[in-house]
Amino acid sequence: MTAVLTKKRTLSRRSILRGLSAIAGAPAMVALPPLAAMFNSAGNAYAAAPAKVAQSEIPTRFVLWFNGNGITEKYWIPLETGSEFALTPCLAPLAPFRNDIHVITGLDNPAARLPGPGNDHHRSMSALVSGTQFTGRGAGGASIDQVIAAKVGGATRFRSLQLGVSQESFGESIQRNMSWSGYDRALPPEMLPNRLFDRLFGARDAGWIQRKKSVLDAVQDDASSLRQALGKEDQMRLEEHLSSIRDVEKAIASLPPAYRQVDPPEMDGDMKDWPKISRLQSDLLVHALASGQTRVASYMLTKCQGLSRFPWLGHTAARHHDYTHADGKAPGSKGSDGQRIMRDICKWHVEEFAYLLGRLKSTPEGDGNVLDRTCLVYIHEHAEANDHKNNGLSMIVAGHAGKLRTGTHTRTTGTVGDLYLAAANKAMGAGLSSFPTSNREITGIFS
Amino acid sequence: MHQYALFTRLACVLAVPVLTSASPAPDFAGTVYPVLVKAGCPGCHSSDGVASGTRLHFPEEGVSAAAVTSFGLSLLPLVNKSDPDKSVLLAKPTRAVPHAGGLRIIPGSPGAQILKGWISFLTTHTGSPAPLDLDVPAKVVQTPALRRLTHTQYDNTLRDLLGDESNLARQFPPEDFVKGFKNQNSAQTVSPLLAEAYGAAAEKLAKNAFRGGDRRGLIPCKWTSAGDAKCADQFVQQFGRKAFRRPLTSGEVSRYRKLFAAGAADGKSFLAGAQLVVEAMLQSPNFLQRAENGAGLDLRSWETASRLSYSLWNSMPDEQLFRAAESGKLKSPSGLETEVRRMLRDNRSRAMVDDFLEQWLRFDRLLTAVKDRRSFPTYTPELALSMTEETRRMVADLVWNNRDFTEFFSADYSYLNAGLASLYGIAPPSRDFDKVPLPPTSERAGIIGQAVFLALTSKPADTSPTARGLFVREQFLCQDVPQPPPGVSTNLPPLSKDKPQTNRERLSMHLSSESCSSCHSLIDPIGFGMEKFDAIGQRREKLTLRFAEAPRGEKVTPTQVELELDTNGEIAGLQSSRFTSPREIGKILAASVQCQECVAKQFFRYVTGRREGPSDRPALQRIYGEFRDSQFRFQELIVSVMKWTEFPPGSKSYDSGTD
Repeated sequence: MTAVLTKKRTLSRRSILRGLSAIAGAPAMVALPPLAAMFNSAGNAYAAAPAKVAQSEIPTRFVLWFNGNGITEKYWIPLETGSEFALTPCLAPLAPFRNDIHVITGLDNPAARLPGPGNDHHRSMSALVSGTQFTGRGAGGASIDQVIAAKVGGATRFRSLQLGVSQESFGESIQRNMSWSGYDRALPPEMLPNRLFDRLFGARDAGWIQRKKSVLDAVQDDASSLRQALGKEDQMRLEEHLSSIRDVEKAIASLPPAYRQVDPPEMDGDMKDWPKISRLQSDLLVHALASGQTRVASYMLTKCQGLSRFPWLGHTAARHHDYTHADGKAPGSKGSDGQRIMRDICKWHVEEFAYLLGRLKSTPEGDGNVLDRTCLVYIHEHAEANDHKNNGLSMIVAGHAGKLRTGTHTRTTGTVGDLYLAAANKAMGAGLSSFPTSNREITGIFS
Repeated sequence: MHQYALFTRLACVLAVPVLTSASPAPDFAGTVYPVLVKAGCPGCHSSDGVASGTRLHFPEEGVSAAAVTSFGLSLLPLVNKSDPDKSVLLAKPTRAVPHAGGLRIIPGSPGAQILKGWISFLTTHTGSPAPLDLDVPAKVVQTPALRRLTHTQYDNTLRDLLGDESNLARQFPPEDFVKGFKNQNSAQTVSPLLAEAYGAAAEKLAKNAFRGGDRRGLIPCKWTSAGDAKCADQFVQQFGRKAFRRPLTSGEVSRYRKLFAAGAADGKSFLAGAQLVVEAMLQSPNFLQRAENGAGLDLRSWETASRLSYSLWNSMPDEQLFRAAESGKLKSPSGLETEVRRMLRDNRSRAMVDDFLEQWLRFDRLLTAVKDRRSFPTYTPELALSMTEETRRMVADLVWNNRDFTEFFSADYSYLNAGLASLYGIAPPSRDFDKVPLPPTSERAGIIGQAVFLALTSKPADTSPTARGLFVREQFLCQDVPQPPPGVSTNLPPLSKDKPQTNRERLSMHLSSESCSSCHSLIDPIGFGMEKFDAIGQRREKLTLRFAEAPRGEKVTPTQVELELDTNGEIAGLQSSRFTSPREIGKILAASVQCQECVAKQFFRYVTGRREGPSDRPALQRIYGEFRDSQFRFQELIVSVMKWTEFPPGSKSYDSGTD
């Protein structure tokens, strides 16, 4: 069933993954095989939009990007506001993208302070992504990426994509998931690059799509006998199941012919090598966005209240969360030493974000590049990590969708929701009138 | 006499005055009750709160104002008629007398005044006692439930249905622990990602099933052509009955026959048609989900069969169980019990008990935990696995050899391999995991003395008395402990060379802060009694603290400080519950009705996939009673849970079958 690609500009899936792996450790700006070579043996279905297409005709995209545990403010927040701000140690990796970003500090996350179940991380995380109270398990409502996806995701193959890197399983659902379709409804991130690759570019033999469709058609009609006499909540869960089947059907039905011509995936290597996985995931995300498979994605680098160790940074004595409190009992995590380690960790987070920006920027599209038509919002559950601070949050908005004002640092007031509203409406045309904790767009960020 | 702390309905013992007071009654439901709720009384003084020993029968949410008022009247025993200000109802929350829950209502505040008003009302009116039913009348309804196969159940089912042991569900998006277990209904949703995974797995499984012909004998007839209609019909019906765990409706048969025809024509073979049918059925909601108490009468027995098999085996029914469903045998309690006992003799039940244990005790927390290598160089993933195996062996012995399950807490023996024996400082048995008596001087006994508990409730480098106390409250006493209030720093002051402290000393800051002490005084002292066992479950006589505050890269000799450990602990709220070692608390738990009931409750939650509600009380009461009367035989508990959840006491079962 494996179709062999013979044209010289085409690549097998295996070679793509090898190519990606080889690049993983390299500096951020090394180019991938061009998209056209990846997907086009014959047609141009998956090539990025050709140069003659006007920028304004290319749909914009939204990426919500997360790192866990918050930041160490003194190493992260620029002292100066305005365009003359100096990049701090944590933000240094963004130097090449100064004119593609807007650093925002001072945002409030008020829903984090509603009394309710959970610890500070749980409450802040639920409030951060959804503006609603933690349920004891997950978010109390839909996260902003899902609110946007509900408005603009209908026309693409995937309404939205969820990507992750760190594979921890610690704690509550809210710690492992940043995307929520509704109350307690987690959309878990795909954390294995080969599986993500399979979803996006899986190889299929001829007739597969038709078969798959007839199977799902049969299954769709199947639930009627289950439905009888179920309570409301159970009915809802059954409907969710059916709607998930419909989503799968749609993803299959809109599978273009180019998919049928790639080798089965094989991902070797260390699945705990997060820096490597992070870059593979970023590469795949860029391809997914550029090929129009989705307009909305979330990217969870490390987990909320995460417990990762960071061997690639040389910090293994304690875990991420221990370092945030800098009083871990493990040797070396005490006092200012823990703070300096947090600086390294925060810088690594930003480095990975910068890598994604670089990949978007180096992917041509229309008369510009993919970053021109993308809006990325970089978030974390706490401001100063040690204090579990949930006001005065620092974020980065990147990309030029919605005419972001770039190259500047703004200290502002207002809620996280205010920023989301602006991004959703200005960059994505979602037409939202409100989001929990907000009914006004933040001003001064988009022009 | 047994005290049913949990199940006793106050109605039996309370006599409530009829309202005959001259003064108009304050609006209890509108003004007084909110004061109690705001003070957080229901959080602790409920059947599953930390102060359940002094349980008050708070009304369920959403009941009528009259019901709330009748609760208010039931508080009379907490009123001191001769000296109203000394009433327990006021003195406790205002902390005029010691209150483990701390200061909940500030003396002299408006809330205190409102409460006083109610107390004075209760003191003044007279009347003849009238019985009061404080609980919501136990509505004997069986809640219908939609249950999604857990990942374990998915794999087991494919093993039993197709003979496929590739365990594909291990690659599915992981399941969350919700309310203590991974199989709770409210979390059993199907996200698009999971639906995709089901689709991919179904495709693979169907292909494997027919690779090299009908190797697994799924086709019940000899087909004569690719489109052999008669044989296809038989196949769809027969395989469908197993996959959907009930006979197919005529609509389903014709739908899958059509799919078969398409597949057979496309692949030009009978097996291609069959493969497509299998692929479709394996991602049908009828396969992936099952209803409990949902279907009409005609399917009810089939649902029951699935409920039994997924509860007892975590897999699909076998042919004998299908036949029992068909014959109507499962409609009577005795018929059901016969089947349950038969199923308990099957090894699949052992795997189920393992699965229950693994979730109840949160083995995952140990198996995914990291321990500090400098402090515990002997700790390895293999040792962690041995720790879980020790507990598994003990439970298997208790359950399957029909021993008294309270020994789970009090056993003065254990099941060790060489690694654990050396951890415990005991001579190893001649064969790994043979039963060995613990030395009479050992302070270990039962689960609390086992390394798995001691290690999974600890941090990487040291113990956590708080985590140990919480675990005992939540897992073994079924009490919900409130979470720390928002905005409270949960960080302890750092340890320093100049001021070395034991955990007891460090945690004392919990007790000095009003917002912390109300809960921590109920939690931490449990852990204090276990402090002579370290973060991987080794005995320690003293606490050794090492300080090495050199800049990184520089070598210094660490300073070492040794501190005495005070292991006086107690389970506040439980009578005579002071202890100084795991062995002693084990004895207390083994003898505690609350703990025994909790074991029953935990299994009930695992089987039903939900938390118990008011309407489950009669069933739980019977279940616990039978468990106790059997001298705590766990197999009897299993039988009782299956029986009383299928035929709730007092219900009219769906046919006339009653005991």
